[in-house]
Amino acid sequence: MTNAIEVQNLTKYYGDLLAVDHVDFDVEQGEVFGFLGPNGAGKTTTQRMLTTLLEPTEGRIRILDHDLAHDPIPVKRKMGLVPEESNVYTELTAWENLMFTARLYLVEPGERGPRARDLLETFGLWEKRDVKVEDFSKGMRRRLSIAMAIIHHPTLLFLDEPTPGLDAQSTRTIRSLIRELNAKGVTIFLTTHQIEEANQLCDRVAIINHGQIAAIDTPEQLKAAFRKVQSVEVALEPDGQAHGERLKALPGVTHSVKMGDKWRLYTERPSGLLPELLEYARARDLEVVSLNTLGPSLEDVFLEITGQEIGAVRHETEESQGRRPGARRKKGGRR
Amino acid sequence: MSQGIMGRIRDEVSQAWTVAVKDIKVYYLKPGMIMFGLLMPFFMFFSFSVKREMAAAQGVARLLALTTFFTAASTGPFIIPLERRLGTYDRLLAAPMSLLSLLLGKIAVGAFFAIGVSVVALVVGVGIFGATVVSPGFLVVGIILGSFSFSTLGLIFGSIPTRNPGDVQMPSTLLRWGLLFISGVFVPLAEMGAVARALAYVSPLTYAQDLMNHAVLNAGMLNPWLDLIVLLLGCGVFLIPSLLMHRRSRRLGY
Repeated sequence: MTNAIEVQNLTKYYGDLLAVDHVDFDVEQGEVFGFLGPNGAGKTTTQRMLTTLLEPTEGRIRILDHDLAHDPIPVKRKMGLVPEESNVYTELTAWENLMFTARLYLVEPGERGPRARDLLETFGLWEKRDVKVEDFSKGMRRRLSIAMAIIHHPTLLFLDEPTPGLDAQSTRTIRSLIRELNAKGVTIFLTTHQIEEANQLCDRVAIINHGQIAAIDTPEQLKAAFRKVQSVEVALEPDGQAHGERLKALPGVTHSVKMGDKWRLYTERPSGLLPELLEYARARDLEVVSLNTLGPSLEDVFLEITGQEIGAVRHETEESQGRRPGARRKKGGRR
Repeated sequence: MSQGIMGRIRDEVSQAWTVAVKDIKVYYLKPGMIMFGLLMPFFMFFSFSVKREMAAAQGVARLLALTTFFTAASTGPFIIPLERRLGTYDRLLAAPMSLLSLLLGKIAVGAFFAIGVSVVALVVGVGIFGATVVSPGFLVVGIILGSFSFSTLGLIFGSIPTRNPGDVQMPSTLLRWGLLFISGVFVPLAEMGAVARALAYVSPLTYAQDLMNHAVLNAGMLNPWLDLIVLLLGCGVFLIPSLLMHRRSRRLGY
């Protein structure tokens, strides 16, 4: 299979700050490629370099058989971009936004109307086509932003955090669309904090941390490589939540995390921990309400690689809804 | 999608036009545009003209120079930083068009605005105050070239790598006001001293004012063809810093 994206030695400095550190990776044509990383890791910087919005300090990017530095226009014609913020024109209607984009991407005049109508119907915006976008909700703007990114039928689509902050219906619509586009052969480059989203959608994921690719593989292979973050999840009654410290002290438990009314106990040997747990409950006359052994999730892998605390990912995702990624990093540029 | 060099040029012109039409729809009625592009030149005109003895034709020549200058130069510093802040400028930068075409589209927005406002000023001057136009040819070409030249000048400030329109308004306003007082708009070139006149020759507004004086008063000081050539050169020369600053913005991440 040929590559849609080939990145070699990609590097970006903002002054003395090294934001992306000699990164190499390929994205195969037709795959959904997830690009994961904590805030400030270099995700958005990398994506902006891939979409010509930022000039690399060093390195080579080849997209759809064109060198991006020397031949960007043919690449741009085949590329769609959905940035983190829905950059639609709020003073225009949904229809005008789509028509503008279609003209900008040189869609044939006879094609513009039917494509716009098709997209507006797909995204549930047809009834609102003549309404100015300033009256749209966040989810509607997001859907319109995606429609604008695909009206020229790109073969490569970049999506930066497509679903955070959206309602369940919008999120489901967008994820379904990503799957549909990919089924039609569109290569998807998905930058996301949403690890479960990457797990559900991506053929392969790369995890970037401190500007370097820390891991790159299929979600299942990554999980398999991190068996040490297997866990046992247990709910005890009565007063099960008071047992955290004592459960953590059981043989083989590396650390514990409270998950609602349950405790998740991380261990390299779940089979050895189960009898210990049952004995613990029996000795204290506790009822085992539920008991599950869990393989490592992609979130566990992500946290292990990036060295973050359990729970930090969810916290960061919530924070990022009100802040551009890496905005704290430097006044001279965007990370 | 067209092929070949001519096809590519046609595509680029079409895309530049698309950007210009979009900006006209989105920004012409924004308060910032109305304030700096429409009201400001008229305020300036009335501030320095009311209660002073001045023939209608002289007033029209001054007003036309002011409107082309202020209105055209106000759009770039307003629109581009605003679009950078809203993220919509990325949409344009990521589009399959050259940077030159994008900037030409932006220049056209300011130029069309200035031409429109100048036409209104001309209609008022001729229709209500009874001014006459001595040389309609110089007037039309002067308004058009002046509008494009000053819009390109304003684009330089719009190209400063920032997402805050306030960072751009200050230097662009300072320059515009500075040029206004050294360019023979309020003090005619003939009444200036040698140093002031030498300074005036550096300002592109001097040539626009002189050309309007030729067209309306038949009383310019410089050769009108020189005025036209300078305004034409301004369209090209002022574009260079904008292109360079956009490249710098791309390195910095704006």
